[in-house]
Amino acid sequence: MNASATENIYLPKTAVLDRIVTEIPDVKTFYWRFDDAAEQQAFKRFRPGQFAQVSLFGVGEFPASLPPSPTEKETFFTIRQVGSCTAALHQLKAGDRFAVRGPYGNGFPMEEYYGKNLVFVAGGIGLIPLRSCIVDALEHRDKYQRIQIFHGAKTPGELMYVSKLHEWELTPGVECHLTVDRAAAGWSGNVGVVGSLFAKPGVHVPVENTIAFVCGPPIMFRFVIKDLLAMGFQPRQIVSTLERYMKCGVGKCGHCCIGVAYVCVDGPVFTYEQIANLGEDI
Amino acid sequence: MKARILNRADVLKIVDQLRQQDYEVIAPFHGWGRDTFFDTVTDENRERIELHLPNPYYPPKRFVLPHIERLLKVRRANGGIQIEPTYEEPKRAIFGIRSCDLAGIYHLDRFYLGRDFRDIYYEKRRRNLFLVNLVCTDPDRDISDECFCVCADTGPAARDHFDLQLMDLGNEFMAVAGTPAGEALFASPIFRKGGVEHIQKRHTILTEVRKRFKTTTSWFATTIRCVSQGSVSERTWEEIGNRCLECGGCTYVCPACTCFTVSDRPVAANEMERVRIWDSCALSGFTRMAGGFNPRRTVHDRRNRRFFRKLAHYFIQRELSMACVGCGRCADVCHGDIGMPSVVEMIRRASTEVDKHERVGY
Repeated sequence: MNASATENIYLPKTAVLDRIVTEIPDVKTFYWRFDDAAEQQAFKRFRPGQFAQVSLFGVGEFPASLPPSPTEKETFFTIRQVGSCTAALHQLKAGDRFAVRGPYGNGFPMEEYYGKNLVFVAGGIGLIPLRSCIVDALEHRDKYQRIQIFHGAKTPGELMYVSKLHEWELTPGVECHLTVDRAAAGWSGNVGVVGSLFAKPGVHVPVENTIAFVCGPPIMFRFVIKDLLAMGFQPRQIVSTLERYMKCGVGKCGHCCIGVAYVCVDGPVFTYEQIANLGEDI
Repeated sequence: MKARILNRADVLKIVDQLRQQDYEVIAPFHGWGRDTFFDTVTDENRERIELHLPNPYYPPKRFVLPHIERLLKVRRANGGIQIEPTYEEPKRAIFGIRSCDLAGIYHLDRFYLGRDFRDIYYEKRRRNLFLVNLVCTDPDRDISDECFCVCADTGPAARDHFDLQLMDLGNEFMAVAGTPAGEALFASPIFRKGGVEHIQKRHTILTEVRKRFKTTTSWFATTIRCVSQGSVSERTWEEIGNRCLECGGCTYVCPACTCFTVSDRPVAANEMERVRIWDSCALSGFTRMAGGFNPRRTVHDRRNRRFFRKLAHYFIQRELSMACVGCGRCADVCHGDIGMPSVVEMIRRASTEVDKHERVGY
């Protein structure tokens, strides 16, 4: 992306909230669109894995993954309430205005994955950044070999995008496996960490010609990486998206720089081979 | 580059010339004691401009990257939000900027204008900035104990990136034009052509002044290699980190530091402004995310970060300019004595303790 000389890279554009859906406790999906239709059109050219900067004026600005695929009709963010900006966003109601700029970051190089098996491993809200990629891959189903989705949550009530998960479970050509750390009444599925799904009877994760997408909390990330490496995955076959404190999103403010990489412009998508060489905690 | 000679008594006429062309002229002044500062030249203070004085701690970087700069003005009305970017595009000249600070501004140019995203706020401040470089020639007043521009290859006489360069030859000054705008000043009758003796004198003075630098960091290049390769031991970074008071002073005085944070502040009811403020990688909150996770846990992680960002070969190549210009300010202000020259020295000392040259046996 090359901004023209007159473009202001810090200028967000106003957007309006259409509706808000509670996904799980503390996590809501905010459906929104730019006030300016041309802006909306331009924004929709994002790639899976990219992110946007969300402005809550008076509180601040924060980076947020883009969970929709570029071809989905609606644009939305799925946000966990964790700091002051996200708390302010959670206070908003349909019809309220905020501001957005982006999309930023490298995104997943989907074309490079054509002809491969895709294995998605998402722990908890780690499914948010991977959702875009999964929906995009299913829209171009014939470009890929096997597609497997592994999603784990603490409890059945904390599984993300439940209706989408059911849709994927019923989609031919998609293997969708779910697990929870603690079962609850009515849960007949697997109990255990997400990595325990790989060894389940009837599950076979191909290693040859496969790309594994891993997103989730640090502890889950470490264990899944260990499992995948033990299964024979090469570090460059594993991709993830990193999150960092960011102010600008365009490689200027310096906060997200790890090793030689600015997460905002060189990432947020990195292979595990790159992550392992950056030299910082994940 | 075209050079001219002018009398010592006429040097400040360059300031007058620039002011007549509607430039806001910034020049160095002396306060009490060591205190020196850049300020706007007025009719009242013009006579107090000093040519030879210790370089102000507060770097002239702020004229292209103010320590607090407004980016946006935002107004809320009837459920809507009006966002208005606010720009400043001053016509400004810095008279007497030192070669190290000039290299600092060049580094900022590379960083803010040379990458994928151009920073329009920086660009507007930079566009009409006229730079009059002064060569450090007075070993007692110009060169501090910590100056090491000779090692960073930025001074004492800058080779480019100025509009006009002035050098004290005694009773006369030599002026060198670096741009057509600088050369245009030569139309004034105060400038005249010099002779071979002036060039000879410039050479003699520069040769002499290069020997008067007290801090020599002869290991600078090796340090760059060690830091780039990651061969500096964790223990050395810990020693450096242990001496850091986490005050952020080094980043505040650095003419080549670029990091900033962004903050929203109210200015009236339903009206706020978004500003950017210099930030420092020395502070623990610099990388702390919402929810409390901080990928850089310890102070030595953060010190490691600062020196890696400044010295790693990758970044020097990426920006085609190094983020350390040898001004020595970090060494001057650091209470823990871990300015750049000391860090270079600590890395040198640590590497002599490792007998990597003597790995022999039978």
